[in-house]
Amino acid sequence: MNNLYANWGPILDLYLLHLGFAFSQYIVLRAGVFSLATAGLAAVGAYAAGILAVKHAVDPSIGIVVAVVLGVATALVLSWPLARLRGVYQAIATVAFVQIVVSVNIYAEGLTGGAMGLNNIPKVIGTWHLLVAAVAVTYLIWALNRTRLGRTFEAIHENEAVAVSLGVPIARYQALAFALSGGIAGLFGALEAFHSYALDPNLFGFGFLIAVLSYVVFGGRKSVLGPLVGTAVLILLPELARPLAENRILVYGMLLILVINFMPRGIADTALDALRRRRLARMGGEAAQSAKAARS
Amino acid sequence: MSGLILDKLCKRFGGVIAADDVDMEVPAGRITGLIGPNGAGKTTIVNLVTGMLPVTSGRILFGDRDLTHAAAHEIARAGLARTFQNIRLLPEASIVENVMIGYHRHETSSVLSALLRLPSAARETRETEEKARALIDRFGMTAIADYPAGGLSYGHQRRVEVMRALASDPKLILLDEPVAGMNDVESDELATVIRGLAAEGRAILLIEHDMRFVSRLCEHIYVLDGGRLIAQGAPRDVLADPVVIEAYLGSAQDA
Repeated sequence: MNNLYANWGPILDLYLLHLGFAFSQYIVLRAGVFSLATAGLAAVGAYAAGILAVKHAVDPSIGIVVAVVLGVATALVLSWPLARLRGVYQAIATVAFVQIVVSVNIYAEGLTGGAMGLNNIPKVIGTWHLLVAAVAVTYLIWALNRTRLGRTFEAIHENEAVAVSLGVPIARYQALAFALSGGIAGLFGALEAFHSYALDPNLFGFGFLIAVLSYVVFGGRKSVLGPLVGTAVLILLPELARPLAENRILVYGMLLILVINFMPRGIADTALDALRRRRLARMGGEAAQSAKAARS
Repeated sequence: MSGLILDKLCKRFGGVIAADDVDMEVPAGRITGLIGPNGAGKTTIVNLVTGMLPVTSGRILFGDRDLTHAAAHEIARAGLARTFQNIRLLPEASIVENVMIGYHRHETSSVLSALLRLPSAARETRETEEKARALIDRFGMTAIADYPAGGLSYGHQRRVEVMRALASDPKLILLDEPVAGMNDVESDELATVIRGLAAEGRAILLIEHDMRFVSRLCEHIYVLDGGRLIAQGAPRDVLADPVVIEAYLGSAQDA
């Protein structure tokens, strides 16, 4: 058992952290915003928590709260100019935001430790903390998908003209999705900081952005299962493919290409759709059967 | 009575006048028609009324409210629902889910309770689904209520759109070319539905190409050409008006 944890514990931790980031990315896509700001928002949370702990000896729990609040606030400020953009322009603008955050973290040496990174952050977060946070966020996403918020996000995502014609104030709902995304990214950024001793400014850069986006695209953008499955596969795959050594990036890339081409809605959503079709076919079959019985 | 009144409504795109001093009245409990040849400015009127385009001058009054400069979602909240010329449903969502989003205007659970799915929000979802299923039953589509809307026939998709509009319990329903592409059976069925809505006391504004459909349903029609109203009145009189015939078919000299 101990041996098992020694082998798989770090991967579980990595999974739980990245699951949080995946949900931060998921929720903006869900509300029809093509934002890639999660990396930048996570960096804001991580550095806020790290700096408070290292330079001001602030208690980690307060640091985490500050990280969440800052994540929400940054996202809300961002949502204001982004409400005037659509689609790929939102993506470009948010990539710029991510680059700005990376640059600030590199060049504001006095505050962030610059290119050397921020070191000596107390490690106070363990697997259990991560598990609680991941379960809480999963519940939040699951729950909101089952209330009027999920229905409204779905309508905006599918067709803005329809949403407006039904009385949905789009900018307000997208700002809400942004705030949630920022809060989740800030929280998991702070957890990352308190989990890994040090922060590297390039950690939350372009590679991170692509990874987080891949989790959601790979798993699915609709159901709560999407990010759960996508993150699991993409985190586990490199580990399982370890015998392939230098070829494992190749495997990773090929799998992504295959899924995007043949399951554009992602693994989980495609599977759920297939299940739904089967259920409907069975229901239709039964209806036809009973109709036949009634006739004879 | 609460109806829609357009008062000297104007819209200019640069030098192009898309709507020129349009005066119209869409009273409650009646089906009012708006017809005109292609490019007459019908869609512009739709976009002005629904708040998708800003008004250049004139006023839009709805009941006792002035909606001239209201945002599109506020207009919807004031009780104006619409269907789209090219049907717009959520194709992968089921009929029930499509109709449920129509209730948005009446869903009042707080953001926090919806985020955490507190009992009040869960109950609201349950009640919304019950209402949607009852509405679907009224339209005789219960047997297929859980099927994805994208796979339905054209006539059925249009019905889903009407149900979604109706879910918001609107005072006015704007139907933008509802029978385009429908066969006779489908359009007859829809005509019955539309008459029913007017009989409930709702104002209906029917924007149509199909003259036969309009003259069968409407008590009063307006004819638009080049952004101006060129005729109005009972269908029989209007369709016999030489000005209208000329707008549609061209004048005798042109021929």
